[in-house]
Amino acid sequence: MPAGIENGVFHVELLSPKQSADDLEADLARFAERYRRILDAGHAVCIPDNPMGTLAFHATELIRELALPAGNGRISAHINTFHTRKNLDEILAMAIDLGIDNLLTISGDGSPRLPRLSGGDLGENVHSVTAVELLKHVRRACPGRFSIGVAFNPYEPQDDELEKMRMKVDAGADFITTQPVLGEHPAVEALHEFGLPIVLGCWMSKRLYLLSECVGYEIPQDAVYDGLENLRALTGRYPGCGFYLTMLGFKTQFPQLGEVWPRDEEGEA
Amino acid sequence: MRIVVCVKQVPASSQVTIDPETKRLKREGVAAEMNPFDLYALEEALLLREKLGGRVMALSMGPKQAEATLRECLSMGADEAVLLTDRAFAGSDTWATSYALARAVEALGDTDLVLCGKQAIDGDTAQVGPGLAAHLGWPQVTYVSDVRQTEATHLVVERMNEEGFDVVEVRLPAVLTVVKDINTPRVPTLRACRAARRATVTTLTAQQVNADPANLGLGGSPTRVVKVGPPPARRRKTLVLDGPSESSAERLVHELRMHSIV
Amino acid sequence: MYTPNESDRDPYRNVWVVAEHRDGAIQGVTFELLGAARRLADVRCGEVWCALLGDEVAGLAPDCFQRGADVVLAVERPDLAKFVDDLHAEALAALIEKYRPEIVLSGATARGRALIPRVAVKTCSGLTADCTGLQIDPDTGVLLQTRPAFGGNILATIQSVRHRPQMATVRPRVMGEPQPEPGRTGRLIVEPLAPPNAASPMRVLEEVTARRNTVALTNADFIIAGGRGVRGPRGFDLLHRFASLVGGAVAATRAAVDAGWVDYAFQIGQTGQTVQPQVYMACGVSGQIQHLVGMQSSDLIIAVNRDRNAPIMQLADYAVVGDLFEVLPAMVAALRRL
Repeated sequence: MPAGIENGVFHVELLSPKQSADDLEADLARFAERYRRILDAGHAVCIPDNPMGTLAFHATELIRELALPAGNGRISAHINTFHTRKNLDEILAMAIDLGIDNLLTISGDGSPRLPRLSGGDLGENVHSVTAVELLKHVRRACPGRFSIGVAFNPYEPQDDELEKMRMKVDAGADFITTQPVLGEHPAVEALHEFGLPIVLGCWMSKRLYLLSECVGYEIPQDAVYDGLENLRALTGRYPGCGFYLTMLGFKTQFPQLGEVWPRDEEGEA
Repeated sequence: MRIVVCVKQVPASSQVTIDPETKRLKREGVAAEMNPFDLYALEEALLLREKLGGRVMALSMGPKQAEATLRECLSMGADEAVLLTDRAFAGSDTWATSYALARAVEALGDTDLVLCGKQAIDGDTAQVGPGLAAHLGWPQVTYVSDVRQTEATHLVVERMNEEGFDVVEVRLPAVLTVVKDINTPRVPTLRACRAARRATVTTLTAQQVNADPANLGLGGSPTRVVKVGPPPARRRKTLVLDGPSESSAERLVHELRMHSIV
Repeated sequence: MYTPNESDRDPYRNVWVVAEHRDGAIQGVTFELLGAARRLADVRCGEVWCALLGDEVAGLAPDCFQRGADVVLAVERPDLAKFVDDLHAEALAALIEKYRPEIVLSGATARGRALIPRVAVKTCSGLTADCTGLQIDPDTGVLLQTRPAFGGNILATIQSVRHRPQMATVRPRVMGEPQPEPGRTGRLIVEPLAPPNAASPMRVLEEVTARRNTVALTNADFIIAGGRGVRGPRGFDLLHRFASLVGGAVAATRAAVDAGWVDYAFQIGQTGQTVQPQVYMACGVSGQIQHLVGMQSSDLIIAVNRDRNAPIMQLADYAVVGDLFEVLPAMVAALRRL
C-alpha cells in the first residue's frame, strides 16, 4: 500500500464498536460486514484507536476475535500513546501474528479512563510520550516489519505542525496521513518536502460541525457540504496522493467511490 | 479473600442540568457510566485477588439499567455481579442506601472486605462508604491511596489527608474507600466484554436481604431534597489589562489576595 | 414566622461544632463554623457548643470561646490522640445521645467526611455534606442546607424534617472566619467518657506529612495553565515555580502535551481533566473550545496572552494582553514584596 499509493484504492476509516455499546454483538456484526465490504471492493481498512478517548476495541483484538482477513497489505491499525507498555507489546505481537502491515502511530486522544505510556516505559527521557517516541519504539521493537504512518493536522498552527512532522520523519516515518482537507490547503505542498507518500484526509459527512470537534478548531459551514464533491476535488487537485475517508456513508456514498477515483488498468500510481 | 465492591451507575455529571421551565433535573439523553471512583475500587479488588486468591463480587443498588455497570465489572474480571433492586429503595438518601447495602453484604455472607470508591460523582457526598461501615459495625478506612501489606487477617494501608497521609493497620472485615491515586484500572478485552454480556447478573430484593422497610426509600431517609436549581449565574465581565507588565502584575496579585490565594 | 417558645421547644437544642485540631492548634475551618453556628444558634435561641475530642485538649478551649463558643465539651482520652474513625465516632455519638444538640456542624475535611457519616448512621441523623449555605427556615425552624451536586451543575437544598440532630459538613474557606474576641470566655465541660471495652480493630501506625510538589489538579484552589505560548518545557519550569510560590497546581493544554513539553497528567480539556478551581490562570493559551470545556466553571479566570483576540480573552475576568515571560516574573516579584 503506501509504499506507493495506488490509484483508486481508498483508505476507508472504520470505527470499532464502543465498549459501552447497547448491543455489542450487533455492532460487531456490522463492523465485520463493512470490513469485508471494504476489502472486497479493493480498498484499504483503517481502524482508529479509542478516538476521542472513548473506550472502544483495538483493531488487532477485533480482527482476531472476529477472524477477519488481514494479511493482504490493506489493513492499517492506529496505535496511540494511551496504553500500558504491556498492552502495547500485546498489540504489536498480535499485529505481527495477524499479518497486519500498516500502523499509524499518533499521540491520540486521552481520557481519565485510559492509561498512558510514560517515557520510562519506552526507555526515553522525555516529559511526555508523543507519536515520535511511539514510532521509534515500534521501529526498534519490530524492525522492518511495518509501514508506519504519522499524522498531520492542517488546522493547527502550521509552523508548529511542520516542526513536529520533521521530528516524526527523522524518527523514521514511512508515510503521512492528514486530518480532513476541505478543497485544498497550502500545507499539502509543504508536506511534499518530506518526500514521503501522503494520504489526504477527506471528510465525507455533510455534518461539518462534527469535523470541528475532531480537529479542535471551528470549521465554518456556509453552504451544504458534499463529501463526494470534496473527494472529487481532492483527487483532481492532488494526483499522487492517497485519500483517507472519514465518516463515509456506507449506504449512499460507498457504492459511488469507484467513479470518483477510477483505478488504473495497470493498478499503479 | 472474599471481597465485595460496591459500584454505582451514575449519569455523566457534566451533562446533567436543570430544566429552566420545570426546575427539575433533566435526565433524558444523559449517558450513564460507572462512577469513576468505583473503577479504582474494583481494580484494587482484582489486584488483591491476584495477590491472595479468593473472589470478587460486584454489588450495586439501583434500577435495572445499573446491570450495564455490573457487566462492565464482570468484563474487568469480577467473579460475580449482584444487583440490589427494589421499588422500595426509590428515593433513598445516603443513610437508607448504606443501610440497604449493609444488609446485602450480610446476605451475601462470609465477606472479608468491602471496597468503595471515595464518592459518587452525582451526589458527591462520600457518605455511603462510612455509612455502610457503621451499619455493618465494621472498621473503616477512607481515602485509601495505597495498600502496603495484605494478610488474611488485616491490611496495612495509606490513608490520604490534607497534610499527607497516615499509615493505618486495620483488621478484617473492614470497609475501605479508595481514591484515584491507588492504581490504574485495567481496560477490558473484547473477549471479556462479550462474555460479560452473556453472563448472569443475580438480582436481590429488599426482602431477600432482610431489609426493614422502615429504613428504606423516602420513608427511611432522614434527609429530603427540598428543591434543586441551577447554580448562581456566573456573569463575567472581562477587564482588559494591556498596560505595562508591572502594572498588570500588581493588579493580578491584588486579585489573588482578594481570593485568599495568597 | 416561626418563633420558638418554651412549650414548643424541641428536646434537642444548641448548635454544635465538631472541632478539628492538629499539633496543638484548632484548624481554621472550626473557627469558620463557630461563626456560622453563632448565626444559627441566635435564630434558634440556643447556645454554641464546641465538641473537642483528643488527648489533652482542654487547653484549646480558650481559642474556641474567643471565636464564639459558649460551651466547650471536651473528651480527653489517650486512645483519641490519633484519628481512629470508630473510636471518635463512638465517642461523638455518645455525647450526642447525652446532650442532644439540634444541629451538628463539622468541616468537610478528610477527617470530617470520614467521621460524620459514621456518626450520622449511629445517631439516625440526616447529614448533608459540603454545604455552601446554611439557613434556618423562618417558617419551620428547620435547618436548610444548600450544596452543589452533579459536579456543580446543580444546587440542591436539603433538610431533615424529623430526625435530630441535623448534621452538616462545610468545606474550609466557604464560611468567613469570625474575629476573635479576646477575653471572651465560656463553660468548659470535661466529659468522663470511658473507652469501649474492646480495643479498636484499627490503629494508626504513622502520621506522615508529605509536602507534595504537585497539588492534585482536581483539588487545587489555584491552577496556572500553560499552552502553546509557553514554547517548551523550560517555560513550564516558570509555571511550576509560580505554582509552588502560591501553593497551586500546574496544568496544560493539549497542544503543550502533544508537543511533548509536559505530561498528559496535566492536561485540562475535553480529552483531559475538568477542573473548577477558585482561580484559573491561563498563560499562552489560545482558548479553543476543547480546552475551555475543561475549565470554564472556574470562579475567576485570568488569561495572559500576547494576542488580545485569542478566544480565551473573552471568557476571562481579567484579560492581560502581554508576554507571560514578563508578566509572570513581575507577579513573582510583587508576591515576594507582600
